[in-house]
Amino acid sequence: MRHWSRSYYFLLKWNVLRFRSVLPLHITVQTLLSAGVVLGYAFLIPHLTPANALYLSTGGMTISLVMVGMVMLPSTLSYRKETGLLEFQRSLPVPRMSMMAADATMWIVVAIPGLVVAMLLAVLRFHLRLSPSPMVIPALALVVVGSVSVGYTISYLVKPVLVNLITNVIIVVTMMFAPINFPAERLPDWLAAIHRFLPFEYMAQAIRETVNVPRAGVSALPFVVMTIWAVLGLTVATRALTRRQ
Amino acid sequence: MPSTPLLDIAHVCKDFRGGVRANADISFQVRPGEVFGLLGHNGAGKTTLLNQVIGLLRPTSGSIRLDGADAVADPDMARRFCSFQPQSPTPAEGLTPRQAIEMMARIRGASRKEGRTRADELVAALDITEWADRKSDKLSGGVKRLAAFGMTVARPGHVVMFDEPTNDVDPVRRRLLWTQIRELADGGSAVLLVTHNVLEAERAVDRLAVLDKGAVLAQGTPTQLRGDQAGRLRVELVSIDPAVAAELASAFGGVVTGRRVLASIDAADCASAIARVQREQELGRIDEFAITPTSLEDVYVRLVGAEAPEGVNDEALVA
Repeated sequence: MRHWSRSYYFLLKWNVLRFRSVLPLHITVQTLLSAGVVLGYAFLIPHLTPANALYLSTGGMTISLVMVGMVMLPSTLSYRKETGLLEFQRSLPVPRMSMMAADATMWIVVAIPGLVVAMLLAVLRFHLRLSPSPMVIPALALVVVGSVSVGYTISYLVKPVLVNLITNVIIVVTMMFAPINFPAERLPDWLAAIHRFLPFEYMAQAIRETVNVPRAGVSALPFVVMTIWAVLGLTVATRALTRRQ
Repeated sequence: MPSTPLLDIAHVCKDFRGGVRANADISFQVRPGEVFGLLGHNGAGKTTLLNQVIGLLRPTSGSIRLDGADAVADPDMARRFCSFQPQSPTPAEGLTPRQAIEMMARIRGASRKEGRTRADELVAALDITEWADRKSDKLSGGVKRLAAFGMTVARPGHVVMFDEPTNDVDPVRRRLLWTQIRELADGGSAVLLVTHNVLEAERAVDRLAVLDKGAVLAQGTPTQLRGDQAGRLRVELVSIDPAVAAELASAFGGVVTGRRVLASIDAADCASAIARVQREQELGRIDEFAITPTSLEDVYVRLVGAEAPEGVNDEALVA
């Protein structure tokens, strides 16, 4: 365990040193993105109900985490892959999961101010009275693990030139065609059916219901589905990290 | 010498998808205190072999043992046991050389004090103090390479592997680097060194293997590889055009690369050879020539063909 935490610490330090000069910019952009999703989507809805406002503010949090895990992480990893740095790090005596955890940690830190801003907007701009549950912590953790492991899998299994294409598709899907900022009923039946098997709807639902617990309580299904996705994602990502051609 | 080599590669074959055979039945051993060179053209399979030792690739067949333990079955052990400088100069990317060396020492278990001391030592030993605290994106390729070298030896494993460590490095610091490699071996490590620079290999390694198209063509000490060539002389000349080069190569029984001819002659024929090339120079058919004792490069060329290896231009041609 000591070897794991030591590796994690130094890999994280390495990441921070590498990105030190651009981290403030990343944090700013990520925060603006989170705020932009909440405020921008509000312009599309003429009469914003508290239910809509809750969808938008918690959707902003979900999108922010999905973006760092499935978009920012694979983009930076594919750059590292192209330059040979990733291969070099794979040749070091460090546990594979500590590499993934060090990458994830940095991007979670980048996303945190955006999460806080989305919550603040919910309270200050939309005057929502939130009743959060302690389950918000595991909900956020599962969203992070699912997003990061999918991001890792993309960057390892897809050629660097195609990574941007795939991450662009993820951006469009999560922003426009996933039931994150709006209920799944608004989607065509076929698309809603697809989303029953994808993690986005469940990520959004878990965050929404733990930020403001509904009368019926927090649903278990999103946690079950997200756990399955997290285990699947971690298994594939670990295999991708350890595989030898 | 101890009976157990630190690195024991036996009958390693590596086939990539599409049927490309990168390594074909490669076997050699490297013992503690030894610098072993892998020499070959680009694409000879040298880097592929190193990547199998460190556990980034899996051999199709054959075995790789590190101090008797199976490295193919336990790549995590291999990564703890070996340190590796890859061919790309990127390991230190985003860091200063001092940070990079200290970081690597600490990842491999050094205390903060040990890491700092080692970084200071290596920065001084490689003479890169001037750039030691400058971020890698503001460094030349040579300094980046030296920083990557420093990372590899910061807290070296029992087996230390270098893939073209001297690329981009200036001649003065190359010598410093070779000194460090020798010290590493003297400290008990087994050093495996990949290069296609024949001249450097001749000076730096204890034993070497020549690889071509994935197979070992010959291995031994530089003297053993020279073999019956040891008593022979090398004739190297640059003619005025390829046609003259072909004619002279035929006369000396040598090989042609563009306008350059490389041939091996018996020491007894030295006087007549000098007379011949002087006559050719007076006729204006050759620009310059040199006659020197047979080097490893001659052996190399004879083994793998006429493609000119690196390092040829390092030696002054005497006209």
